[in-house]
Amino acid sequence: MASVSATTKYVRPVLSLNKNEARKRVLALYKLWYQEIPQILLDTSLPVTEKMCFDKLREEFRKNANETDIRVIDFLIIKGEQDLQETLEKWKNKGQLMDYFKVTVEKKPSDFLGKFLSGQD
Amino acid sequence: MLRLPLVRATGLSSSRLGAVGLHTTGSKSQASQELVEVFIDDKPVQVPPGTTVLQAAAKAGVEIPRFCYHERLAVAGNCRMCLVEIEKQIKPVAACAMPVMKGWRVKTNSDLTRKAREGVMEFLLVNHPLDCPICDQGGECDLQDQSMAFGNDRSRFTDIEFSGKRAVEDKDIGPLIKTVMTRCIHCTRCIRFASEVAGLDDLGTTGRGNDMQVGTYVEKMFLSELSGNVIDLCPVGALTNKPYAFVARPWENRRTDSIDVLDAVGSNIVVSSRTGEVLRILPRVNEDVNEEWLSDKSRFACDGLKRQRIITPMIKIAGKLQSVAWEDALVTAAKALQTVAGNEGAVIAGKLADAEALIALKDLFNKLGSEVLATEQGFPKDGSGIDLRSSYLLNNTIAGIEEADVVLLIGTNPRYEAPLVNTRLRKGYLHGEQTIALIGPNIDLSYEYENLGDSIDIITKLKNGSHPFSATLKNAKKPLIILGAEQLTRKDGAKIVSETQALANTLGNNVQASEDWKVLNVLHTNASQVAALDLGYGSTIEDVKQQQPKVLFLLGADDANIKKEDFPNTFIIYLGSHGDQGATIADVVLAGAAYTEKTGSYVNTEGRAQQTGAALTPPGMARPDWKVIRALSEIAGHRLPYDNITEVRSRLEEVAPHIVRYGDVEPANFFAQAHELAKQTGGSFLPDPVDIKQKTLDQFFMTDVISRASPTMAKCVQAAIKQRQTEL
Amino acid sequence: MARVIGLDKFVRLIQIIRHNGGIFKSLRALYLREELKIGTLVGEDKYGNRYYENNEYFIGRNRWIEYADHVRLEYDASQVPVEWYGWLHYKTDLPPHKDPNRPKYKWMLQEHEPNLSGTNKIYVPYSTTRPKIEAWKP
Repeated sequence: MASVSATTKYVRPVLSLNKNEARKRVLALYKLWYQEIPQILLDTSLPVTEKMCFDKLREEFRKNANETDIRVIDFLIIKGEQDLQETLEKWKNKGQLMDYFKVTVEKKPSDFLGKFLSGQD
Repeated sequence: MLRLPLVRATGLSSSRLGAVGLHTTGSKSQASQELVEVFIDDKPVQVPPGTTVLQAAAKAGVEIPRFCYHERLAVAGNCRMCLVEIEKQIKPVAACAMPVMKGWRVKTNSDLTRKAREGVMEFLLVNHPLDCPICDQGGECDLQDQSMAFGNDRSRFTDIEFSGKRAVEDKDIGPLIKTVMTRCIHCTRCIRFASEVAGLDDLGTTGRGNDMQVGTYVEKMFLSELSGNVIDLCPVGALTNKPYAFVARPWENRRTDSIDVLDAVGSNIVVSSRTGEVLRILPRVNEDVNEEWLSDKSRFACDGLKRQRIITPMIKIAGKLQSVAWEDALVTAAKALQTVAGNEGAVIAGKLADAEALIALKDLFNKLGSEVLATEQGFPKDGSGIDLRSSYLLNNTIAGIEEADVVLLIGTNPRYEAPLVNTRLRKGYLHGEQTIALIGPNIDLSYEYENLGDSIDIITKLKNGSHPFSATLKNAKKPLIILGAEQLTRKDGAKIVSETQALANTLGNNVQASEDWKVLNVLHTNASQVAALDLGYGSTIEDVKQQQPKVLFLLGADDANIKKEDFPNTFIIYLGSHGDQGATIADVVLAGAAYTEKTGSYVNTEGRAQQTGAALTPPGMARPDWKVIRALSEIAGHRLPYDNITEVRSRLEEVAPHIVRYGDVEPANFFAQAHELAKQTGGSFLPDPVDIKQKTLDQFFMTDVISRASPTMAKCVQAAIKQRQTEL
Repeated sequence: MARVIGLDKFVRLIQIIRHNGGIFKSLRALYLREELKIGTLVGEDKYGNRYYENNEYFIGRNRWIEYADHVRLEYDASQVPVEWYGWLHYKTDLPPHKDPNRPKYKWMLQEHEPNLSGTNKIYVPYSTTRPKIEAWKP
């Protein structure tokens, strides 16, 4: 039975073997995005400033700041890399990039009067 | 008139009628008799003697196919679909008409039974057209279903080249029922319904065998307040819903269980809707309220939900109502409400208002300091007024009416005010030998009754024993007095209530029934009335007129007969679903929801709380009524403390706990106290004769905003007037 | 000699400028139409559009329209009325006022209407089905 317990004990790593390595990868990804943002803005002419993009980048990374599971971090890194590739290759269009800024999202009303007037329940 | 026209025709005596499955009151005593044992498919069942094979099989959980048999109608036994084999009998037996004998072994699935069914089915199909794809009954057709289950799997019908199928001319029997008489399989359910339940001997058969036809003998419309039920009864597509013809298939409709609010009976209904429209309304079985019938107004007025709707809020700008956004309408109304100080506001609640809206509106106006809350049909304040529930309920319950032996109707026409109460009276009359008397004008109640005259002081005479009918009343074991709510709006309404209470009290002393037999009953016509009275809407319209309020809130009040001239300096706010009398005089119109578009609580005339289901969303910018009041309260600065329906209902529970106990009747029994209080009521009867608003059929169809907006109901009125003129 | 040093081009330019009514008017024409052409005025329609022809240009460019002055840059091919359309597109060589054989149908009498897209008279499709809910009209 030893072999069974051994397999349950060690999960196969996705990319990183330990926390340190994961951290390095995260920082590398952050750096890559940071470097590419000016080029992305030049290519896409989004109605945002460079500063807003840097803030948004930090915000997006900070969202997962509390993630401790290395496998999850690795998956997030892969997703981030995919996103970057899609952006640079222009597979993502302007609207999809602007989704990060959520400028067109209207908050649903939560109070009774707001719900009443907008006709939402 | 014969009491039991069809019983005589079928040769059954009335004592046997109870045995063969008619729901009569007498059949209860048979439970104590010895039971006989029969075997249905070798399964033993104990049933009382006289039970039919079909009922015994039902008890064993075996359903025998049938077309003509209907549990609420007399047995006809002419379709032969229910043939079953019984051991040691040479021929198969019609299960619906054969009483069981001890030890019978019924085989409902034997070769002989199946062959018999197949044969019957084949004969039925020989003369039934194959037009299922264009037949409105498709999907809910008994013949379709049963030919799939019990019919032959292939046709032997080759005669089409020679004589063809039987064809029968269609009949015009009115604006509600479409007939395709070729599809008729002669089950005679419609005929039996008309003569037994509706009390109309208009339908019958002519010819024999292959030439038999169901019709009206002479060219005539089948006009009754219950005619729509033959559509449900018809097992095939011979009688179908005319306004619903070619509209939808049953399986594509969304069905929502709900409650009818066009009369005070609170019939249980199913609202069939699709693509944001109510397509039709069907009855739902509730033995205590509507059995499985539905009045024509409730069934066919649903197209009124699509016309004359208020879909946006409106404000009167330069003397004309103009559509505006909710913000503007609410702010305008709230500004008017803010001027109200003390008892300067008033409310009139209409007949379709739900309890949620009533409680929200009462809370809002009480916060403003106003106490004048009126209903369209006021209840006199003298004596106990509305404080004792038993003085305004149909206390003995709708189902209990059947059991009465003497019924006194005072100023009411139950046939049109509450058709399903009238079916109970007719049932009592037919099967329970009920004696019925009426104080009021001469009307057709679909059964025989004694007209005591139309003078209101007959009540006093009956009480004193100086009237010839009082002897009958005194000797009654289970007397019942049904007082029409319409009479209470008379100037001497208080006196009528107190005298009726006194009469009921004297009768109650010599009642020989169980303790909970209640003599005094009030029959309401408005669905919202009982809930409104329960919640404390105690004022009358006269009070409102006297008060001359600064702000008058009409909660769907269209039948109150209010004119703008009565209130020259009053700001009128109207909240409702249809544009009618109330909306035209209003300064602000708020768009509310109709009863198919909101979840609302209603209490019917017997005090049974029930709730409607929202089948659709309110059209346009309309909102459920209580939400409008809640939003208005917030803008006016008197925020009501509930945000969703659950919270409103817990508020309802605080005020009147029974309103949220859905399905139950909350009994009330304070007759003695009410009588004591009523003794102080002074005044005297007015000389005016007792009058009833709805005397003839044409007055039945259009009584509220929904039915007034309905084109089908307008056609019915035309047809009823035309029919009456031709008969004269 | 003049050809060699390109003087004929210069002369031609002077001619064109003169034809267009001076330097300022030529600049205005350039601003409006981005080209300067020389040609004979064939006719003018009732909307003020002028039609020119110069067969020195190759076919396709030898007939042209100068839109009415008041429309300025807001010109559009749909402003050409039907009677001139045929001449402008080489369906006929006879301009309308020189063609006596043209049929005169009733529909030709109605006023020419340019494309209204982009104006407030634009056609907006609307539903012709009956609404499911009929609103109350006070």
